[in-house]
Amino acid sequence: MLKTIELKDAVGSKLAHDITEIRPGEFKGPAFRRGHTVCESDLCHLQKLGKNHLYVIDLAEDEIHENEAAVIMATALAGDGVSWKDGPKEGKINLLAETDGLLSVNTAALAAFNMVDEVMCATLHNYTLVKKGDQVAGTRAIPLVMKRAPVERAAAIAKQNGSVVSVRPLQRARVGLVITGNEVYHGLIQDRFAPILTEKVKALGSEVVALDFAPDDVEMINKVIGGQLDRGCDLLLLSGGMSVDPDDVTRNGIRLAGATELHYGAAVLPGSMFLVAYLGEVPLLGVPACGLYHRITVLDLVLPRILAGEKIGKAELAFLGHGGLCQDCPECIYPHCSFGK
Amino acid sequence: MKSFEELLTSSAEVHGHLCPGQVVGVRMAMLGCRLIGLDDPTSHDQIKKLIVYVEMDRCTGDAVAHVTGAKLGRRSLKFVDYGIMAATFLNLETEKAYRVLSTEEARDLALHYAPEIVGKYQQQLEAYKRMPDSVLFRVQQVEVSLSEFDLPGPTRRKVSCSRCGQVIRDHREVVENGDNLCKPCAHGSYFKDPKEIIWPDMNWTPTDSRQEAASSGQQEECSWE
Repeated sequence: MLKTIELKDAVGSKLAHDITEIRPGEFKGPAFRRGHTVCESDLCHLQKLGKNHLYVIDLAEDEIHENEAAVIMATALAGDGVSWKDGPKEGKINLLAETDGLLSVNTAALAAFNMVDEVMCATLHNYTLVKKGDQVAGTRAIPLVMKRAPVERAAAIAKQNGSVVSVRPLQRARVGLVITGNEVYHGLIQDRFAPILTEKVKALGSEVVALDFAPDDVEMINKVIGGQLDRGCDLLLLSGGMSVDPDDVTRNGIRLAGATELHYGAAVLPGSMFLVAYLGEVPLLGVPACGLYHRITVLDLVLPRILAGEKIGKAELAFLGHGGLCQDCPECIYPHCSFGK
Repeated sequence: MKSFEELLTSSAEVHGHLCPGQVVGVRMAMLGCRLIGLDDPTSHDQIKKLIVYVEMDRCTGDAVAHVTGAKLGRRSLKFVDYGIMAATFLNLETEKAYRVLSTEEARDLALHYAPEIVGKYQQQLEAYKRMPDSVLFRVQQVEVSLSEFDLPGPTRRKVSCSRCGQVIRDHREVVENGDNLCKPCAHGSYFKDPKEIIWPDMNWTPTDSRQEAASSGQQEECSWE
């Protein structure tokens, strides 16, 4: 329970919470910390912060202070690859990435957590690439003092299926590139796909270990795929032949190679003719020609998730639809836009 | 206790249809029984230990009754007309009781737990299967004082209404100025203007030769002690 005392009577009292000071453009933070004993010289400063009354806390058995609540909630919310430093500040705890990787948010659990009264957690978008030390989420109890039961229930909800926020490091894949198309294979035009794909692979910490060209021929594509698997590639990217023309036979080559699973079509623009297949455990991504034109496509949404160990199937490709429309800005600002969010 | 899926199937059969309320009710009963330490409430050795209070006359109530085996006629099922999606499970042996409440927010969260399902009804149905208990329910530990007149077993007291003569069982009479009155006489009732009537074939009995003809038509069930 909170009791209110007049500022003039507060000398000698301990502050019940951090008192925030905001000096526009200069400073935002705690001017006084919880537990600070108010002395005569503080009164003027507190008055300038608009404080004419202060809280004194007298916690009942079933009540909890915001700082303790924040620790309970942060502990429950933080999954693998997520932690926090220091204690709560102004009742809030920032959850940080422990490692470079892909942020994974259990959005259902997050929604359920936030439906509990008087608690909150805000996160970055699911599947955001983060660096070690980046803030990925923040949590706090809304009131200064609250009942313990909702906090503990919120923590239980946060722990369902592991946790709410985790950061999965990206695997270092041995990537094989298969560039298909008669026009490239026969030297009519120069391939421009391989450098683009290689750059994307490298940017995510993986390595291109094989590069092969194949004509629009089902048998040849099958053979090249088999050869790359034999050379130890554990992720294959194929370009070309993903469209609807009679010469677009790459899908057939992938089937012939023995794909155990094949999903053609993603709810993303650019990238609707994207393909995800699996040859046993090895993922195989078919990149449509839009990858030559647009800086960012469906590949940039899916590749990090594949490298983070996620299995991509029909549902995952379908769920990309909401936010899957690129605004095609004159100057691309991805990831600081709505694409893929 | 049988599996959730088995219980849901049989509950829906008894209730008449499968619906989100059935899912909630089956899970509510499973949780309630688990909390009071009954793992097979319909078994012979546990059925007499359980009293269930349901606070709603909705699909969920039927599912709770089905899973627990609690019955109005056995006095193990108590209906309290609160209009609240909740049920309390009382273990008569340990006197432990827990009130399990269905959360309102679960409705809004269905979208998050079953995003691929189209249609509110089907989405809730699937989402309520996927949600953990912590999301679907809140639980209160409660104390329930059960009068001896509310316990299962034979009728413990009978008196007659001083005004209408009706026999009143189990201390449900209202005493006014020293007179025992039935509740309709004392407080009014859900019906009004009762008039005694005669009706066609009023001498019919089940052993009557006309039984077959009667039973082939509409026949309502009733209970009798």
